Formats: sequence, structure tokens, C-alpha cells
Amino acid sequence: MRYILISFISFLLFSCSSKEKQQIITVEHPLVTIESKKTEYIAGDHIKLVFKTSKVVDLKLQLKNAYGNVLINPTEINGALINFNIPKNYSRLAGPCHWKLLHTGNTLLNGTVSIATNKTEMTHLESYFGPRSVTAGYNDYSMLTIAPTDVYDNPLDNDTPVTIKYQFLENISDLQVTTENFIAWYNVRSTTKSGRILVTSECNGTTSKELTTIVFPSNATNFNISASSAHNYADGNQILTFKSDIIRDEFGNMVSDGTLVTFVIKNEKGAHLYTVGTTLNGIVEARTLHPDYPAKWEVQAFITGAAQSNLTNFNFQSAIKDYPVTFSKGNRHIEIGSFESFMNQLVPDGILVQLDIYNKDLKFIETKKTTTKNGSSTIYLGAYFLPNGTYTFKIKAAGITKEYTKKLHGN
Amino acid sequence: MKAEKTNTLLILSLIVGLAFHGSAIFFTLEYTYDALIHLFFADSYADSWFDPWEYRWYTGFTVQSYPPLVHQTIAILSYIGGLKFGMFTVALIGIVLFITGAYRYTLLMTGSRRIAGYGSVLAVFSSTFVETLHIFGQLPSIVALSVLMHSMTEIYLYIKTGKFKYFLTTISMLAVTVTCHHVTPIFGMVFFLAPLIGMVVMDAAREQVDSYKELTFKVFWKTTLKHFWRIATFGGSGLFLIIFCIFPYWYNSKRNPITQVPIPHGSRDNFLEITSSGLVFFLIPWGVLLFILPYFFYRYYSKRYIFFGLSFTMLTILGTGGTTPIPLMLLGETAFNILTLDRFTLWATIMALPIFAEFGYRMVEGDLKILIQQKFGEVYHRILGGLIAGGMLFMVLFTMTLGYFRPSQPAQIRMLPIVNFLGADSHDSWRYLPLGFGDQMAWLSAQTNAQTVDGNYHSARRLPELTTRAIERIENSKFRGVEGIGSLQQFLTVPDKYNLKYIFSNDKFYDPILYYCGWQRLQQLENGIMVWEKLNVAPIPQIQPKQDVPTIMKIMWGIIPILTVILAFFINVQMIWVRLLKSKAVEESPFKKFVLPYKKFPSKLLMFSHVWALIVLVCISYGIYLFYIKNTAQHSPKNVMTAYYDALDFKEFKRAHSYLDPDSNVTIAQYMLEVSVTDGILSSYAKMDSLGVEIYDVTKNSAKAKVATRWITPLENVFHNDYHELIKQKGKWYIKPSKFDNDIPPDQLFTQNGTTFYNHGRRKITTQETYHEDVLKQPVLEILTAKLVNYKGQYSIIGELQNVDNSPADVVIKATLYNDDNKELASFNAKHQVKHKLMPKETTAFKINFEGIAWSSTKDTIPPTFNPDEFTPLNFEEQPTKFNIQSAGNTANTDLYKYVALQDLEFTDQGINGVLFNSGVQEVTIPQLIVSYYDKDNELLWVDHKFVPEGVRIQRKQFFNYKPLELDSLTVINSSLKNCFVNGLPNKAIADKVFPKRVYEHGPKQTQPYKGVGYDFIKIEINNYIGNPK
Repeated sequence: MRYILISFISFLLFSCSSKEKQQIITVEHPLVTIESKKTEYIAGDHIKLVFKTSKVVDLKLQLKNAYGNVLINPTEINGALINFNIPKNYSRLAGPCHWKLLHTGNTLLNGTVSIATNKTEMTHLESYFGPRSVTAGYNDYSMLTIAPTDVYDNPLDNDTPVTIKYQFLENISDLQVTTENFIAWYNVRSTTKSGRILVTSECNGTTSKELTTIVFPSNATNFNISASSAHNYADGNQILTFKSDIIRDEFGNMVSDGTLVTFVIKNEKGAHLYTVGTTLNGIVEARTLHPDYPAKWEVQAFITGAAQSNLTNFNFQSAIKDYPVTFSKGNRHIEIGSFESFMNQLVPDGILVQLDIYNKDLKFIETKKTTTKNGSSTIYLGAYFLPNGTYTFKIKAAGITKEYTKKLHGN
Repeated sequence: MKAEKTNTLLILSLIVGLAFHGSAIFFTLEYTYDALIHLFFADSYADSWFDPWEYRWYTGFTVQSYPPLVHQTIAILSYIGGLKFGMFTVALIGIVLFITGAYRYTLLMTGSRRIAGYGSVLAVFSSTFVETLHIFGQLPSIVALSVLMHSMTEIYLYIKTGKFKYFLTTISMLAVTVTCHHVTPIFGMVFFLAPLIGMVVMDAAREQVDSYKELTFKVFWKTTLKHFWRIATFGGSGLFLIIFCIFPYWYNSKRNPITQVPIPHGSRDNFLEITSSGLVFFLIPWGVLLFILPYFFYRYYSKRYIFFGLSFTMLTILGTGGTTPIPLMLLGETAFNILTLDRFTLWATIMALPIFAEFGYRMVEGDLKILIQQKFGEVYHRILGGLIAGGMLFMVLFTMTLGYFRPSQPAQIRMLPIVNFLGADSHDSWRYLPLGFGDQMAWLSAQTNAQTVDGNYHSARRLPELTTRAIERIENSKFRGVEGIGSLQQFLTVPDKYNLKYIFSNDKFYDPILYYCGWQRLQQLENGIMVWEKLNVAPIPQIQPKQDVPTIMKIMWGIIPILTVILAFFINVQMIWVRLLKSKAVEESPFKKFVLPYKKFPSKLLMFSHVWALIVLVCISYGIYLFYIKNTAQHSPKNVMTAYYDALDFKEFKRAHSYLDPDSNVTIAQYMLEVSVTDGILSSYAKMDSLGVEIYDVTKNSAKAKVATRWITPLENVFHNDYHELIKQKGKWYIKPSKFDNDIPPDQLFTQNGTTFYNHGRRKITTQETYHEDVLKQPVLEILTAKLVNYKGQYSIIGELQNVDNSPADVVIKATLYNDDNKELASFNAKHQVKHKLMPKETTAFKINFEGIAWSSTKDTIPPTFNPDEFTPLNFEEQPTKFNIQSAGNTANTDLYKYVALQDLEFTDQGINGVLFNSGVQEVTIPQLIVSYYDKDNELLWVDHKFVPEGVRIQRKQFFNYKPLELDSLTVINSSLKNCFVNGLPNKAIADKVFPKRVYEHGPKQTQPYKGVGYDFIKIEINNYIGNPK
């Protein structure tokens, strides 16, 4: 054990000691000159750099462009001539491409080839257009942005002309803009008419896809409404329809479909009722039900914040002038009606009838509610629930209240 | 020593057991509570064996929170035939292990192979086993318990003989038990192994004396000391195994202590009060054993079994849950609320098995048979035997079919359409939430890579939003009443917090709350599941948080459990082989010496057992009688009212009609028609929670009833009062039918024009993320007013907002509160006090309440009893003074029905009575009124809402009553549009550009003058939920 320990420690000691002296290596660099004289290329060209060397040694070429660095080996060594083929991903990218010829880490030569955008082959276009909808008027616009590139995705030089065409209704306009900082752009102003604007662009004979923005109408302006119904009796069973004329914005466009219009109805009791409608081809229609009592309605419509309508009135005459009430079977069987409407016809089913029962000291006992069927309604007050005695009954229906005091007897 | 004969009873019970349980599991196991959870865990191992982190539930949890053996076994088998093949195979293995385990346990206890055969037969038909396997699906528990029973023989032999080979078999089996289930060995040590050790010592002591009479405590104590080192070795190694084999589990428990608040469990109920729990957790597991209880106690309190007697008594008492206060006292508050107590009953009934087998043996061919035949005659013996056997069979059939007659799970859902939906179009880049899936949600999770915020193993939860709620799953929140619905609502309101975009709804109960929280229907899948989606939710980030564990833990977790099985197999296989094939004579087991001759059954015990059985019978009969009286519908006014509402709640209209006064001439056809036309939240989406019937004005033949009902609806609790008149005819009480509305709509056929919208998701079929040209512009909104107010101690943001664009918008509003130091205090979204879908130029009032999870310090601020209507009080330094609103519009094309008019209003002392009229062509199921309050300058003060309980049918009226609030205690803290943003842009810039010439007087012109306390104007807006859009 002890021996192991000693040998381990001595091993540690030895391994800590260093070599006495480092050997000095002297490197002889060859003399190198560049043979290829061309420094201007077009993206996609085959680029070959040829060097002439005094001694064949291990040479490497470092390339650097916007994408990054790479180290390449000679492609061919032909006696004293050493050829480097620049790889495609470097020869296709426009811009300066710097090179350095290296030998054992030392730069022997350096230089730059400049690669220009390829204008001879086809041009590609990338185009963007947004927002996809604008509002009619003078403020809004959509921006068309075009980035023309060569076949190797190099942006074309500044001031490359780009033709922009846009169509609205019968007009097709075109204009020329030039690229700046690789892109060309144009604000397609909104029009005062609503509709659809199609745009396209063209550069070096390449056209872009079709892009579109929709010009929506601007905010609505004031409008007129009218109310109509089959009759103006308050029978509680007829639809009252409100309708507007065509609602337009300040430029005369019909407001967009689906715009919500609120019809506020003020009745003679000061209650604000309402109904809503949405526009279709600029016209809004909203409905509500006739009241079942005579009423005076004052109606005004709003597109909140933007527009309002005229005030219009609709007056309901009473349909039911009066109704009979008959008590029978010891006054326990109460028949209310028949209710007759404006032509003495039976009212449609469903008029609400309310009976409030009070005892003889006018203390409230309970309310019974029912609706009419075949023109009238009946209420039976069973002896189980109202023992014999004198009661006051208040009957409310169709806005008419009637009061009776009756003595209940029998079963 | 001679080779023993094959035990025919054991072979028979294995065959019958496998045939019976083995075929039944294919119809039961998938509907059990737990089986699919284990399947999901298995899938997690099958996917990544060594990585314990599972993203798919609870926004990430670790599977090291449950012992892995059963899951890993299923996972291995799943490589052969799929997950379900693995699950069924493990269940079959469990059945075999259980039957053989019961055999060996009985053999150990009684020493008789004959009785052990009886034991194996009774094990097959034990109702507790049937329940655990076929109703609860507790596979790990069954396997662990079975292996524990197997190991008991080995433990006995080791302590008795001290041979090393028995020590090996002992620990090998114990290790398997530990890696199966952690609770079984821990409690098993106390309840099974401690008495077993006691019995071994007792046996050893018995061998030193001539009879049990001579076996004094002194002798016992001496023997104990003699065996001390074996016991200590066993105990120490057992403890070591429990800690070592599942060490990552303990490590995880320490690191992620269970913070879950107690979730109510039926086994903790008072079984006398909640009889359904009593049935499932007491009557079924005990079954016929209940009648024979005196015999168990008699036998277990004999000297040899005395320790088992104590343990058995403890287990029996602990199993009674909340019926007596003893379990709570014994276990303490924490343990009582974490443990499910049904396992104690399970163990008690399993512990009783050998003695039951002994009873069976004595009854069929032993001294008890002779005694009964002597005392009561041969016929009586046969009848009694038939009754016991029949009772057992009945309990087994009853338990097996329980799930059929009272399904605890929704019908089986075909998952493939959902799995396909999640897989298509990057839908799994968002989280999803199933609703109304029951335990099948685990099966869905196992089949997809998509993640959900929910999960089915609540001990592993980490989100405080979930751990602070006593709900089992969000998915079935309706069964947890107010608390469940409240919790669900919080998730639905801020889905962006959890990247929750899709909801699969298998229960239309939840539809209204989804709508009112701003979700929209996407499509109905071919299996009938409705998909809901929420707009404006960002996908799950590419890099998600993960709690990593040391590599050594992963390796331990991945290797040890399977290793224990392999080791146990190799150590025990030789013995099993020898035993099974009878190839070699084995030495006589020492416990076989203790077989009893069973010569004389004590006749006093027989008599006492009869008395006991009689008591049990009387109790059962009384229970049935009570059940009958309570449920005889027309016995009293109160009964008939309760029965009527019960029938309505369960939509049994025929039964409801039978309680109506026959003289009222309402035919069943008419009644059904009338019922079928009422729609609304109460008739379509409510579950009755409580019913209070108050009977007054009672005469001999008549009465009046006030029925106060509380309904749980997905939106809120609805309290409803109804008044009925009752009469008595021919000794039966009837209800006078209420009158129905005779209203007829004006038109038979009518037309309506309107604008509909459609949005192609994308027009090119491509997997590219988004195509530039298919991105719609977000509709522009404008916030008109926004205020921070304090009303009754609760902070709210209120305001008004308008869709100022030309396309319909889906609106999401998020508000954040800050204090004076710009510290963020809370953040929440608008829930249902806003119209989420706006037509062009439509306005809506909105209110944002900051509920429980909104506050940044969620844990401290959530009150212990959760109520979604209750708000967290704040301390003074934390007072919010500023706010920020981020609203976003997205193009909407559904739920744009607006055609409900306010047809009449009347201001009375009882509040505002109004009439709604539906002028369009869709039936509005739940109308909502959004009421905003304004001061005298028409400045917004408050926003309130009311759900109208009944729907509005087409061209018909609906009456409502709204009680206006009193706002004198309201204070406006901050009123500013400075920090309001729309689609990320400042609100002011939008207002200036889109609506430069806004007419501000339009707002005031649409408000209703109303003199109330603290305000001068109100405005009523209507928001419509349509249950069945056409």
C-alpha cells in the first residue's frame, strides 16, 4: 500500500514538471502572386481564383461575405498554379466577397471580388399589401411593399424601377417607383367610393400576384326612418316595422352590411324601449310588437356616435274599448270577456288578464294571472282557498281596470 | 414427506375466477374510476421510460408521484398489443395473484389445505374484490395486496425458521408490493404484518408449552425476545425497501408536498346520512360477511389470532368513515382528509376471508353443520346454506351490474374524431379541456400529444388555481356545485393564461357558460362532441417549464420496479414450480401443525349469531321501510310537491303529470306540449340543488305550498319561488296545474333578411403557419369610457366599448390593476358582463371583476371556503389606484343574433317589470340583460347583469323583473382612457383616426331616466344565448 502511495505522489510531482525549452520552428513562406485579374462578377458566375506560388505548400483560402466565413482547399494544383473554385453559396450572393490566402495561419495575400446583382436572368418579386381593408375617405391607405430580387434572392440595386398598377372600378392606374434600400413601396390611398382595390406590380418583366384591399364605407350620416304596421290598434298582436331609407356615408356610399342601428322608442309613460336592426344594402329594418294598451310612441334611430335619424311618431288607438265581467256559481266563477277588438272581432289569444283579490278591509290577499283563450278567460276561486265572505276584486286587462265587491258563497 | 395432492378447489376457483372476472373486465374496467388513469400513466412510460415529467396534465406534473410498477408493466405490454391489451393483461394477472394469494393466506392462517381451497373459492366471489376491480378499477392496489398476501407465508416461515432462503423470498415479494402501491405496504405493515409477527411468536410460544392455557404472557414475552433479531431484521429490511425501492417518490413528496385542499370523498361521509355512500363503501364490500361478523370476532379474539383481532377491529372501525367520530380521532384531521377510507374496509374484508373460509368449511362439512342439523334439522341447514350462498351471489351480481343500472360514467365516447381533430391543423399547439367526459378523459389524454389544464390525479396538481379547490376535476365541475362551477368559470374567463383554446363538450349543461365567457362553437365532431374555441389565445410556448430530477432518480425509477419483479420471479419461481408440479416433496410447513380439529361449534355462538343476523335484518328492513315512506309520492302535500319537482328535475314528465289534479282535465299530451315549449336556463341547463317546501293554509282537503328551489346552473345559482295549490282526492294529494300562457304569435309565416358572415380559416391547403394573404385585419374597437370603481369593497373596472369597424368583432378585454407604486396587483378578463360579439358600430357596457385567481398572490388571498361571488378583501397598501386595459378584436362570424327587442317597461315598487320580444327567426334560450347605471351627467357608474330564467321564443314575449341596485356606497377611483389599448395600439389614436367626428350625445339619448339611489339614468342592453342555432 505504501509503495503505491509513494509512486502515486512521485507521478504527480513528475507530471507537474515542464519541458526545459520549446523548440523554435521557423516557417518559410512561399512567394505567391494572384493570376486571375478579374474582380467584378455577376451573381451566379463561376468564380475561380488562380494563384502562382514559388513552392507547392499547403495553402488555404478564407472567404468572407455577408453570410460568414469559410475556409476552402485548392480545387486543383497545376504545377505552380493553384486554383480555388469559389463555392456556389458564395458566388451567388451579391456584394463584396473578401478572400485571404493563408499558409500555416499567416495571411499571404488578400483581396476582394465584388459580385453584382444578376440582372440578366429572371427577377423575382415579393410583395406585401396591408391592411386588407381601409375606410373610404381621405385619411386611410394601404401600403404596398415590393422587394424585387434576382434569381438568387439578391435584392436589386437601388433605383431599380418598379411599375405599380392598381385598379379601382373602371380605372386602372399605373405608376413607377424605384427601389430604395432594396424595397419599393407605395401607399395606395383610400378612395371616396367604397369597393375593392386590386394592385399588382412589375419589375424587369416579372409581375407579382394580385393583392387586394377593400374600401369600406365611412361612418354613416343622418338618415330617415318610417314606421309601418297592418293597423294602428293596440291589440298586442301585430308587428310594427321600422324601416330606414338608404343610409349613406358622407361620400354617398351605402354603409356596410351588418351595421347595427338602434331604434329608441319613448312611450307616453317615459319608458325608453328599443329594438335593433342591421343594415342590408344600406337599409335597416327592425321590428317590435304592438302594445296591448293605447300608447304614443316616439321613435328615433341611432348609429351610435355616427348618425341619427329623424323623430317619427306612432300612435296606437285602443283596440279593446271595454270588456264584460260575469260572476256565477256563488260568485266563485268569474268570466272575463269576451274581449272584442276594433272590428268587434274576438281578440287573438293571449291578452294578459290580472285579478287582484282583496278582503273586505281592502287588505291584499293574492294575484291571479291568466291569458285569454278564444276571446275570454275564466278564473275559478275554489272554496278551499277563498272561504265564503266579501271580497274586492280588481281586474286589469288591455289597460282597463275594473273593480267589484262581491260576496262569495257556496262551493 | 410425500408430494401433496393437487387442491381441486384452488384449481376450480382459478378456472372460474379467470372465466368470470376475466371476461367481465372487458365490460367493466373501462368504466371504472381509476383504471384509465393508470392507463394514462402507462402511456407516459411507454412514451419516455426514463423521463418522469409529463406535460399533458395540469400544465406539467411528475409521474414519480405514484409508484410505477403496474404502469410500467402495462407500458411494456403495450409494445406488444397496445395500452388496453396491457391493462387487461395486468388485470388478469391481478386476478390470478389475488385468488392464489387468498389461498396461501388462508392456508397460513388455518393450516388446512381444505379450508384454503374454500378461501380461494370465496375470494372469487367476494363482493369487496368485485367492487375494487370492477367498479373502482384499483389495479395497483389489487396487485399489491395480492403480493402482500403471498409474502405473508414467507414472512411467517422466515421468522419461524430464520432460514435465509425465506428471508430472500420475503424481501423479494415485499419489494414488488412497494413498487406497486405505496399505501398498501405502509399500512399493510401495521395491519397485516404486525399481527402476523404476533401470530408467529404465539405459535412458537405454543410449541414450548402443551396447551394454549399454559401459554402465559411470560412465555410469550420470552419467545418474542428469542425471535427479536429476526423480527428486527425483517422490520428493518421492510422499512429499507419501502424507502429505497421508490425513493424518487419520497424525494418528490418532499419537494412537491401535496398542497391540495381536501376533496370530499364518499368514504368519509356519514353512511347513515348519505345512504349511497353507505351502500358503496360499507354494504357492498361487507356484503354477506355482515351477518357473520360475530363469528369473525369470536375467532379473531382467540389467543392465536389475538393480534389479528385487534387489527381487524381497527380496520372495521376506520372503514366506517364519518359515521362515527372515531376514525377522525384515530387518524387525525390531515390523514383523515387525505386518505380514502374505503381501503380500510377492503383490508378488513380481505382479512376476514380465512375465517370466512373456515366458517364455510364448518358449515358445509364440519361441526357447525352437525350442530345445526341437530338443533334445527337438516332442512334448516340447507336453507341457511342456500341463503348464504344466494346472498353472496346476489351481492356479486348486484355489484357487477351497479354500473349498468346507475352509470357512474358517461357513455363510452369514440375518441378517434377528437384525436384527429387535435392532430390536424396544429390544434395541439394549444391546450384543450374536455367537459363531461368522466374518467374517460384519461383515455383521451393517453391517445394524443395535446395538453390539457385538467387531469385526473389530483395529488399531482401544481397550479394553485386547482390545488386550492376541493374539486376532483374541472371536467365534472357541475357535480361540485357552486365551487365547481366557479372554478370552471375562472378557467374559461382567462384561457389565455393557460393557452387554452379548445373545449370538447360532452355535456350541454356547460354550453351557456361557454357562450357567456366569450367562447364560440366551432363544429360538432362525428361522435357528437361539440368543439368550442376561444379567439385571441396564443399557442403554448415552444419551451415550457419543467421540474427536472437528478439522473440517478430517473434511473432508479426506471429500473428498480421491473427489477424487483424479475428478481422476485427468479427467487420464487423454483418454489412455485415445485409446489405446482408436485415434482418434489416439499417439507411440511410449520403452520400446518396448527390446524384445528373443529370438533365442537359452540352453540352459544350459534345462538348469538342468529340474534345478530336478526338485528341486521331488522335494520335493513327498517331502512327499506324509511325509503318507501319517504318516496311514497302522494302520502302528504309535502311528498307530492317534492316528488313533482324531482320528476321535473329528471325530466320525467309522465310521472310529473300523474301528480296533477285529475279533475283539471289537462291531458298528458297537452301537458307534454306545454312543457316542451318552455325553454330557458331552468328547464334546459339547471340541476336542482335544494328544494324547500313550505306548506301553509292546510285544511283537510287542501293546502298551499311555497316551493323555494335552488338550482345550480352553469351561470349562477338560481333561487326560484313557486306557489302551488294542492288538493286531496280519495286519500291522495294532487297539485292544481298552473295556467299556461295562451299567447299566439302574430304571424304564421314570415321572412327576415340579414347579413351573415363567413371566414375561411385559410384558403390554401398548406401546413405553413399562416399565409400573409389569409390574415384578416383585426376589427378595430374603441373604448368609450373606462373606470376603476369600488363598490361594496370590491374593485371593478367598468366601461363602454364600441366596434368601430365594418366587420363583426369578437371582443376580449383584459384589465390589470396597479397601486400607486405601479406594482401590478391583479389581472383578469371580462367574463359575462359584456357582449362578446359585436356587430359593426354596436356598443357594449362591460365590467371586469377581479376574482380569486386574478390576484398575484393567489395563495394568500383565496378564502378557505371558496365562493365565486365572494371577493378577496385587500390590505390597504395594496389598494389599486390605476389600471390598464388591453382589448382585442377578432373577426367573428357566429353568435351574432341581435333581434330581441325591449317591448315594454314599467317602473314599480317591486322593481322594473319589462317585456322582451323576439322579432327574429332564432329561439333565444337564455336572454341576458346588461344594465348600466349613469349619474346625472350621464357618466357611467356601474354595470350589472341579470339572466332571465326563461327563454324568448320566436315572435313571442317574455316578462322579466329586475330590481335596480342602490349605488350610494360606490366610489369612482380612477376614470381615464390613458392606458387603454386596442389591438396593441393606443385607444386615443384609434379614436382620432376612425371616429374623428364622434357625436357624444348619442349615448345620453339612449339612456333611460330613472331616479334611483345614487344614479339618475340606466340603460338596458340584451345579450342572447341561442342553445340550438339553426
